[in-house]
Amino acid sequence: MLKFNPKSVFTIAKKEFLDNIRNKWVILLTFIFVVLVLVFSYVSGSQSNSDSTFGGMQDTVFGLVGISSLLIPLIAIILGFSTISGEAESGSLYVVLSYPVRRIEVLFGKLFGLGSVIVFSIVLGFGLGGIVIFSTVGADNWQGYIAFILLSILIGFIYLSLAICISSFCKKRITSIGGGILIFFWGMIYGTVILAAYFATGYSMKDFTTGNIPGWFWNSVIVSPGDLHQTAVQRAFGITQIESAGFSFKIPEFLSMANVMIFHFIWLIVPLILAYFFFKRRDI
Amino acid sequence: MVTKKVECPKCKTHITIEGKPGETTILSCPNCNLKGKYTFPKEEKPSIVKIKEADGENAIEIKNLTKTFNGFKAVDDISFNVKKGEIFGFLGPNGAGKTTTLKSLLGLINADSGEFKINGYDIKTQEIEAKRSIGFLPERVQFYENLTPMQTLNFFCELQGADKSIIKPLLKDVGLEEAINKKVGNFSKGMVQLLGVAQVLIGSPPIYILDEPMGGLDARWVKIIREKIKSLKEGGSTVIFSSHILTEVEALCDRVAIINKGKLIAEDTVSNISKVLNIKPRLSIHVKDLDGKVPEVIKKLKGVEFVEAKKDILFVTCESAIRSKVITTLEKEGFNIIDIRTIQPSLEEAFVKLVEEDR
Repeated sequence: MLKFNPKSVFTIAKKEFLDNIRNKWVILLTFIFVVLVLVFSYVSGSQSNSDSTFGGMQDTVFGLVGISSLLIPLIAIILGFSTISGEAESGSLYVVLSYPVRRIEVLFGKLFGLGSVIVFSIVLGFGLGGIVIFSTVGADNWQGYIAFILLSILIGFIYLSLAICISSFCKKRITSIGGGILIFFWGMIYGTVILAAYFATGYSMKDFTTGNIPGWFWNSVIVSPGDLHQTAVQRAFGITQIESAGFSFKIPEFLSMANVMIFHFIWLIVPLILAYFFFKRRDI
Repeated sequence: MVTKKVECPKCKTHITIEGKPGETTILSCPNCNLKGKYTFPKEEKPSIVKIKEADGENAIEIKNLTKTFNGFKAVDDISFNVKKGEIFGFLGPNGAGKTTTLKSLLGLINADSGEFKINGYDIKTQEIEAKRSIGFLPERVQFYENLTPMQTLNFFCELQGADKSIIKPLLKDVGLEEAINKKVGNFSKGMVQLLGVAQVLIGSPPIYILDEPMGGLDARWVKIIREKIKSLKEGGSTVIFSSHILTEVEALCDRVAIINKGKLIAEDTVSNISKVLNIKPRLSIHVKDLDGKVPEVIKKLKGVEFVEAKKDILFVTCESAIRSKVITTLEKEGFNIIDIRTIQPSLEEAFVKLVEEDR
């Protein structure tokens, strides 16, 4: 039976929040994030009023996804990539673990503490962005916007859980940097690999226009949390058809909101289980 | 600086005074105006701690610890106990396995085999109770860069479940009072170590585990930490600390264990280790105009094991029974003896001998 003291988790979480909210990289990235969200909301929002080619909030949000799906994972990775390996290397983890606290409590404390830094950045960025959007385009589809914020928090936690997993596996801070870079670029690597597989299995560019796309091509987004997140945002706004570069794709049935959510939680939980396993066996 | 309370001989009023050891101050009683002198007692020089055969329950039990790192046996079947209320020195050259042993004891390292008990609690099955019984100072101590000492100790107090009102006095006690709201990231190495010491004292646990507490610190800090360890013992706590600085261990410890290349090569009281190794006290004789020459008569004297001369000092290792004979022989030969001293066997010698024998 796994013993667990919520109070210790809270204590660790509070410490992580206080320490990392003052991390200069996190401050810088949060600042960039907030500025980009504000600028984009303002530009996109005010244009959508005058120009009918912009579809109001929905399009603004899809623009914002471009910013958030880059910066939120980056903030999460920076917060988490060396949270265990770095602390083990510097020696602060020796002291913490000599206190009456279990490793699982340290792990969850880190997840929630660092997670609240992400929540702080997101709420600050999208909160202010929301005010700008609502004042320029109005509050239509505000439920979608709330869902978008919640999904952003979720993807932040997913990348955080991946980063913590990397940091509990890697012996040293320097190797976990490599791991952090790998998960950050994973979406890109995945895209290249899946496109190569698409052409290798006999499909061509022409098949895109005709819509003759194999199911696995679409469904494979489940292996990339970033793409999964974008699909979830589209679903949250009730979109089933994607228009892109002159092509039109229908999001397959398999990627229903429920299924997309299940895969989100798999991406959240599996790295955490692995992280616990690595951390438990680790010699500090 | 030391603080003393003195009593006025006339009106019995208590007066609190501050001064340096050995310093004489003139004071006057605030009540009856009687004037007087007071000399602060000189500090006692550290000497071999009186051996007290500790008995009763064990504070720490290590049984059959073995730990291998990538095929290298860092610690090989080590067992020893630390008794309640004693200062235990864990001694060995760098890389001998001291840190591995202490970390295994705390469950920071997953040992290949071994049983560990702290304050009677098994570290595997009663992790929380065991860890609540100790204060631990690692060899390389480090804290969180963006937190202040106040926030850092607050955090540890919460983990330990200890009273937070002790934080300020603790910080004052270790001399970090002025840095109370500075970020730990801007601290010097010594200051970080002092914060480490403060952290150890949180919750006043019965057992202290200190890994090289004086390593890499200058004499001033070493003195502070040494005093701290002494006061812990006086308060009835158990202290185990590792070191490769032998003089420190010798001056403080009731018992020592010596580890070399992952194996325990001795575990005993300081005096017993010296006895077993047959290390005898040395005579240091100041002879006028000796000039580095060893007198032949002393060399030939029966019972003299070793003799050497450095400038005007003659060092003689011999049976205690013939010590006086050495002196009388020198005097008979017409040597002018200025001073005679006895040098107690040092643990350093015992240690070098043990480690060499182990090779």
